[in-house]
Amino acid sequence: MTVQTRQWTAALLFIAVLALLPLGIDEFQVSVLAHVFLAAVVGIAWNLMMGYAGQLSLGHALYFGVGAYVVAILTDRYGISTWIAMVPAALIPAALGFAVGALSFRFSVRGVYFALLTIAFAEMARILFEHWEFVGDTSGIFLKALRSDNNPLVTLRGDGLFFYYALLILMLLSWALSVLLVRSRIGYFWRAIREDEDASRAMGVKTFRYKLLAVAISAAITGVAGGWFALVNGSLFPESVLGMRVSIDLIVAPIVGGLGTLFGPILGALLIIPVNEFTRGLAQTFSINGLNLLFYGLLLMIVIKIAPHGCWPMVARWLGLSDSARRRKDEP
Amino acid sequence: MSRFSRRTVLKGAAAVTSTLSMPGILRAQANTLKVGVILPLSGILSFPGIATRRGTELAIKMFADDGVKLDVVFADTESKPENGRTAAERLIRDGATVLVGAWDSGATISAAQAAEAAKVPLVVNVGSAAQITEQGFTQIFRNFPPSSEIVTKGVELFKNLPRNNGFNPKTAVVLHVNDTFGQVTGAAVKGAWEKAGVDIKILDTISYDARARDLSIEVSKAKATGADLVCPITRVNDAILIVREMIKQDYNPMGIYGPSSPGPYEKAFTDALGKYGDDYMTSVPFYDPTRAITKKVLERWSKEFSGQRFELNAGFGWESIQVVADAFKRAKATGAPELHAALKQTNIAEHPMFGGPITFDTKGQNVNIGIPLLQNQGGKPLVVAPDSIAEAKVKLPMTKWADRT
Repeated sequence: MTVQTRQWTAALLFIAVLALLPLGIDEFQVSVLAHVFLAAVVGIAWNLMMGYAGQLSLGHALYFGVGAYVVAILTDRYGISTWIAMVPAALIPAALGFAVGALSFRFSVRGVYFALLTIAFAEMARILFEHWEFVGDTSGIFLKALRSDNNPLVTLRGDGLFFYYALLILMLLSWALSVLLVRSRIGYFWRAIREDEDASRAMGVKTFRYKLLAVAISAAITGVAGGWFALVNGSLFPESVLGMRVSIDLIVAPIVGGLGTLFGPILGALLIIPVNEFTRGLAQTFSINGLNLLFYGLLLMIVIKIAPHGCWPMVARWLGLSDSARRRKDEP
Repeated sequence: MSRFSRRTVLKGAAAVTSTLSMPGILRAQANTLKVGVILPLSGILSFPGIATRRGTELAIKMFADDGVKLDVVFADTESKPENGRTAAERLIRDGATVLVGAWDSGATISAAQAAEAAKVPLVVNVGSAAQITEQGFTQIFRNFPPSSEIVTKGVELFKNLPRNNGFNPKTAVVLHVNDTFGQVTGAAVKGAWEKAGVDIKILDTISYDARARDLSIEVSKAKATGADLVCPITRVNDAILIVREMIKQDYNPMGIYGPSSPGPYEKAFTDALGKYGDDYMTSVPFYDPTRAITKKVLERWSKEFSGQRFELNAGFGWESIQVVADAFKRAKATGAPELHAALKQTNIAEHPMFGGPITFDTKGQNVNIGIPLLQNQGGKPLVVAPDSIAEAKVKLPMTKWADRT
């Protein structure tokens, strides 16, 4: 069996397990896994930009928050179909990403300076939203309760099981899109830019264009994830979707899972969120508030120590899913 | 060493096993009601969250003495609104058939999504956003007034305070923290001022960042207006900062009144400022000192939590358990539908917080909560209005900073 066959077999097995898992777990665990899928979607989006195109964004909350607000406002205030609202939830963050990218890349802002700029834009958006009455300023937005005759397939809101499957599908679609992109010419150009932007430009890669494309696609996926967050959570505040904490939370999973790997963000989310919930349960049992945060920090330190490039490259080798001939950190 | 006793280890092992073995719902015994309480017990809201927990725990003990068996599990939102939903789902999974929470409005709405899906009633202890009972949730029962009501009722009381030679304010300045609470309350104050026909002109409204560590500029701006009355809408730390800055700048208005402003009644405030914390007024939901049940609760509180103050958070934490215990007693069952039906019929006349009987309207709101006027005197908050429950006379104008001995 070739490595590629093994990879596809493992992928199909993974999908089958996830599809059947709700049959064997309780509603709370179903809900936790729905959060895992949401974190994985954002991780996949951020990984495209950072892991493949090498553009460090520490302000992805901008796209996440805007997507969340777009869906909440369009559906709850204007009664627009949630399915339709998902389109601007992708397009508006994409346009914002395009604007941030164009402004930065036009003036050759790179590396940590680009990261600082992304933070600045996210913070500007948070402050703007906190003072903008139309979006509810600091009072935020609260979605109406679901009606008793709610049809989840219409409103895209429902119980934990509905969100489980909806977000599983969203994660698989995002993952499939990232596989297609990474394995296309675009993906190779992104990696060339990541490794050496000047050299890739000298070789004829239109770096400005492809970097912008990375930011816009990443922002669009993150915006859709933000829209789903609004539907799951029911309440939005500038600080809770646009704050610096959100930007940091969004990037932990892909870093732990493995930057520049296709499965890393999913594995990272599968590790981080259940561990967080499990330790939160321990904290609840022992009535020691904050115990979970200590465990969380400890986990991050262990991962950094034993798998500085993330968990997936190591796990892939163990499972025999890493092709030694093609072993590069971006192609497990 | 005592931290890791055999019992602790066994408890931990049980927790690990229960999580790993993916358990089904652990049904509580028929005569014991499993209650899930969601609070911000860590993070920036942990201070009021822990105060609410103390009140909740006191009620559990007091009702246990009366034979009401409640198995209460606390879940921490870490002061993150989005954690409300998972906290609620975890508690429901662990067998809670009634939820209490979640102190802040965002976490409450988040938890309400899970409560609504599972058809488990949620008794709101603290949470003042109007939307909580306006979004159509069928499982919510809120025993806390919406912020606009707190302001309106408080301003009405303040307006009727007797004037004298030293206290006859014609102008006011509003200082408010620039977060959800501050923005909403600041806007509500202006509306309430007009609605109540208060004959004190608001000269300026000054906002400041919630994370501000220095309010000298804001206070000097307020002083420059020459306003007779200062209306700070604050939490504890910023209230302390404002008073310290007023002392430093020797700004002596006729009075300080924080409509719907938590903080000045906190022990942290009166301890930090001592005599300078006196005369500060606020209007918030508070206990009724004249009621027998309040005296009983305060007496037990001083035994259980000596050194801590029984205030708004502890009071509504206590009442949330009273509401649940009352519904449990009447329902004579632990199922969520039976508890929901019983909660709808709630009518509790004897309870510690000021106001009429605890009842819930069709939206799940208790509309009978009263708002007294408090003034710090002798280092503690005392009810000074309305007269029917006042435990001290209002002292105005406030004593000048330099004259406090």
